[in-house]
Amino acid sequence: MDKPLISHHISRQFNVELEDVRQRVLAMGGLVEQQIADATRALVESDGALGQEVSRADHKVNGLEVYIDEECSRILARRQPTASDLRLVVAVIKTITDLERIGDEADRIARMATDLAAQERIGASYVEIGHLSKHVQQMVHSALDAFARMDPEAALAVAREDAAVDREYEALLRQCMTYMMEDPRTIRHVMDLIWSVRALERIGDHARNIAEYVIYFVKGKDVRHISLEEMEKEVKQ
Amino acid sequence: MTGVQPNVPLARTLDVSRMTRERDKPVREEPIALSVENLNLYYGEKQALRNISLTIPQKKVTAFIGPSGCGKSTLLRCFNRMNDLIDGCRTEGAIKLYGRDIFDAEVDAAQLRRRIGMVFQKANPFPKSIYENVAYGLRLAGVNKKRLLDETVEWALKGAALWDEVKDRLEDSALGLSGGQQQRLVIARAIAIQPEVILLDEPCSALDPIATLKIEELMNELKANYTIVIVTHNMQQAARVSDYTAFMYLGDMVEYGDTDQVFTKPAKKQTEDYITGRYG
Amino acid sequence: MEPAPQAQELADPARRSLAAQDLRSVRAYVQSGTPWVWLTGAAIATSVIIVAALLGLIAARGMPYFWPADVVVAEYRDPAHEPVRVMAEIVDSEAVSSARLKSAGLAVDEKQALYDRLLIKVGNRDQYGADFRHVLADWLVERATPVDVLVLERTEWGNFYGVPVAVKQAGAAVASGEGVYEAWLPLQERANELRERIRDIEKGAIGAINYRLEQMRLDQRRLELDGRTAAGDPAAYAELAQRKQGLDAEYAVLQQELATLYEDIRRDSLVMKAVTGEENEIALDKIVRGYQPNAMNGLEKSAFYAVKLWEFVSDEPREANTEGGIFPAIFGTVLMVLIMSVIVTPFGVVAAVYLREYARQGTMTRIIRIAVNNLAGVPSIVFGMFGLGFFVYILGGSIDRLFYPEALPAPTFGTPGIMWASLTLALLTLPVVIVATEEGLARIPRSLREASLALGATKAETLWRIVLPMASPAMMTGLILAVARAAGEVAPLMLVGVVKLAPSLPLDANIPFLHLERKFMHLGFHIYDVGFQSPNVEAARPLVYATALLLVGVIVVLNLAAIRIRNRLRERYKALEH
Repeated sequence: MDKPLISHHISRQFNVELEDVRQRVLAMGGLVEQQIADATRALVESDGALGQEVSRADHKVNGLEVYIDEECSRILARRQPTASDLRLVVAVIKTITDLERIGDEADRIARMATDLAAQERIGASYVEIGHLSKHVQQMVHSALDAFARMDPEAALAVAREDAAVDREYEALLRQCMTYMMEDPRTIRHVMDLIWSVRALERIGDHARNIAEYVIYFVKGKDVRHISLEEMEKEVKQ
Repeated sequence: MTGVQPNVPLARTLDVSRMTRERDKPVREEPIALSVENLNLYYGEKQALRNISLTIPQKKVTAFIGPSGCGKSTLLRCFNRMNDLIDGCRTEGAIKLYGRDIFDAEVDAAQLRRRIGMVFQKANPFPKSIYENVAYGLRLAGVNKKRLLDETVEWALKGAALWDEVKDRLEDSALGLSGGQQQRLVIARAIAIQPEVILLDEPCSALDPIATLKIEELMNELKANYTIVIVTHNMQQAARVSDYTAFMYLGDMVEYGDTDQVFTKPAKKQTEDYITGRYG
Repeated sequence: MEPAPQAQELADPARRSLAAQDLRSVRAYVQSGTPWVWLTGAAIATSVIIVAALLGLIAARGMPYFWPADVVVAEYRDPAHEPVRVMAEIVDSEAVSSARLKSAGLAVDEKQALYDRLLIKVGNRDQYGADFRHVLADWLVERATPVDVLVLERTEWGNFYGVPVAVKQAGAAVASGEGVYEAWLPLQERANELRERIRDIEKGAIGAINYRLEQMRLDQRRLELDGRTAAGDPAAYAELAQRKQGLDAEYAVLQQELATLYEDIRRDSLVMKAVTGEENEIALDKIVRGYQPNAMNGLEKSAFYAVKLWEFVSDEPREANTEGGIFPAIFGTVLMVLIMSVIVTPFGVVAAVYLREYARQGTMTRIIRIAVNNLAGVPSIVFGMFGLGFFVYILGGSIDRLFYPEALPAPTFGTPGIMWASLTLALLTLPVVIVATEEGLARIPRSLREASLALGATKAETLWRIVLPMASPAMMTGLILAVARAAGEVAPLMLVGVVKLAPSLPLDANIPFLHLERKFMHLGFHIYDVGFQSPNVEAARPLVYATALLLVGVIVVLNLAAIRIRNRLRERYKALEH
């Protein structure tokens, strides 16, 4: 199946509307990426002010979600999109939900960062957390890139990446547990860190979801809830 | 289509406060082209339109939808006084074109129809050449200079997105064109005399989907210069092309408003039932 | 295995009965529709055969008339009379019972039940009193076809059959015996040329002078009616006198020329020996042409046939319409139909337009429509009566009193003429045109009228630019029907303008060229006149068939022309299909 040509409708107005929705999804993605990056920085550098700023900025993500959602329902009502157009709109509606969740996770990390910044800093795992954050940011970015270029191969790569993120997450978890066993006074502190790590892992899952929607949009195949191998087979077909 | 540059987050600064879509203004805030005031219409004893009042905004597409026999075509035909031709048809109330009542005794129906063009359900080109079809209204208006005619015919055909398809066979019979082309020719014929308002009476009901989409796109372009009123029993079409939608039922105007609102959150139960297919 | 249902049916004795089987098969045959197809096919076949037979009969009877048949010389031995020699063409033969022949006074042998009776054309009417006679084939013996028999077509007294003896030039014989025919031919050619010139002068130049003299007389009469006497207005009278003098002078010159020509044409003569042996001297100016049928081969006969046929359609009639051509009748028929078309089309179309487009549809229009349709059913002779009573006497009489008082009491328009005939037929065919046009107007889609109105056209503009052009094929259909009916109509014409022999065509070189007040000849009437009013019925009978064939031909040509025009219009305005 060729890539859907969303700008080749007889109705130019329809082209404009679809392109507009697409651009806004990318913009929302960009905003969410920024949020993750900022929240992680606040956590790693114990920058409470930055953490508060990230929490405040979350409403922007929510606003965009509502806006795009409305736009999509308007398109559904007025254009009655079919086939690739319909899949695009459906994929967009789902994508923005995941993006909004990612925004929420970033907000959670930012709040942790704000709390932890007020406490005494311990020397635990910050570098690793920073690394994991880079990794999931990369995933989100790649997923959006795949969406922008309608590239199922790239989306598949994102899905594969999720396993690596999970392994990294587990390693981090064990490390944190070691800290807690070494010094029980840090348990509260480390528990907050674990929540943040957990949030990053969740972001990786959401990125994988987005990648699956890209495959659905481009290939028209539902690749949720199946193994990576099966997914690869579907994409290669 | 551009991909996302790696590691460059998109839209660093997004102004969410500006992220509300530009919506059509409520009808009452638009500049008005036509206004209908307490219009009642009778065919003999039978009342076909009941106390209709609405305003048609300038340079927008206004759609009338409703089940067959609800009076939407009748209302449309009031705007250029086509109902005058029907024996026993009687109207009460007023329709004002830029403030002037078109039922006024001093208004000449032929003159009025030059200002308010009409396109009919079935493409009805005259059995003449393509050129003569478009030039018909101009000749009626007394235009006989060959150059002026040539220019206007070309302009109108371009306006109706038909020029490229027929420019090499202007002298051929218009009856040789396809249904969609004929309908666009009829639109070209209507815009050749540069009306202010164009009325379309189910213009796509006899066309295939692609030809329909072309006509719809044409409407979208024409609304930059003309006020367009379209009657359609294809609700999806109304949703696609119109800025404002009026739903009529049994001669009553049930609901009239922004198309987005009518098709996503209709105010009246009757409208909801009709557009969701529960009508019956 | 279960037996097939049919087998079970056959096993049932009631169903096996032959009658039941037959009935079932007959019903099945009827239900299959085959008999219906045969019935309809048979009906159309019958129609085609009848039409073909009609045309075939007319053609078979009419066409041989122009063929130069061999001339038979024989001895007729009627037992009751002296044997006589006859020289004749055998025209027809029929079997007649001897009883009938006996009662006619012939001494026939009653044992022989049937005799062949021949109709022979002996010609020489000036001698025998009749062109034709009946003879019994058995009594006509010693038949021979000598090559030197010469048939002369004369300007009067019909054909002359005989053998040329001598050619005389100014009373002196220039040839006799062998070579007479060859010597006579150039002289006859000269005589024919002279006759042509005489006719040109008489019909052309002298006709024109007579016409101008008549105009002058009318001018003078007009002056008198205006009260301008010779004493009161000498200038006008002097001018008239001068014109008259000029015309008289011209006339005198022509008269002189004519006298010389007549002298010339009467110079030569041909001496012919009839079969009875007596010699007749026939002046060449009385001979139209002569031919030796027995000496002709097939090709020569065909050429002669073509010449005769051309004469038939292009020449004027001779001898009470039984000889010569029928050109004036063709011309009159066509001209009358054309004038009628010119009158009836606009009139009918305008009436139909009002009735369909402008009149309020109601009881009144319904009554008018019924009246129009009934008008089409009125017998044509009634229209003739109306034409005579209203057009000729009332309308024509009024016109004469108002515009042509100088000619009174001689009527100008107050007498039957081609205009009144055309008008009467226009009236007769008006319903056809109205109905056809209305039908055409009704078939124009409402959507096209609305399209025109929606572009700012008024009702009249829509009518002129869209409706009438599109209805034009229907109008032509109406006209075709009208022409078909009018061209064949005879009865009313007899009352309003057709004559047996018109002295001049309604169209000639004298201003105003088209003379609507003149009487004219018509093919239909010509058939009636020649066939039933002629003094020489036997001679005229083939002519009746030939004329009928020509009438059919003329109508077909007129119709084909109209159909061609209609089809072209249809092609142009073929929007009605969808």
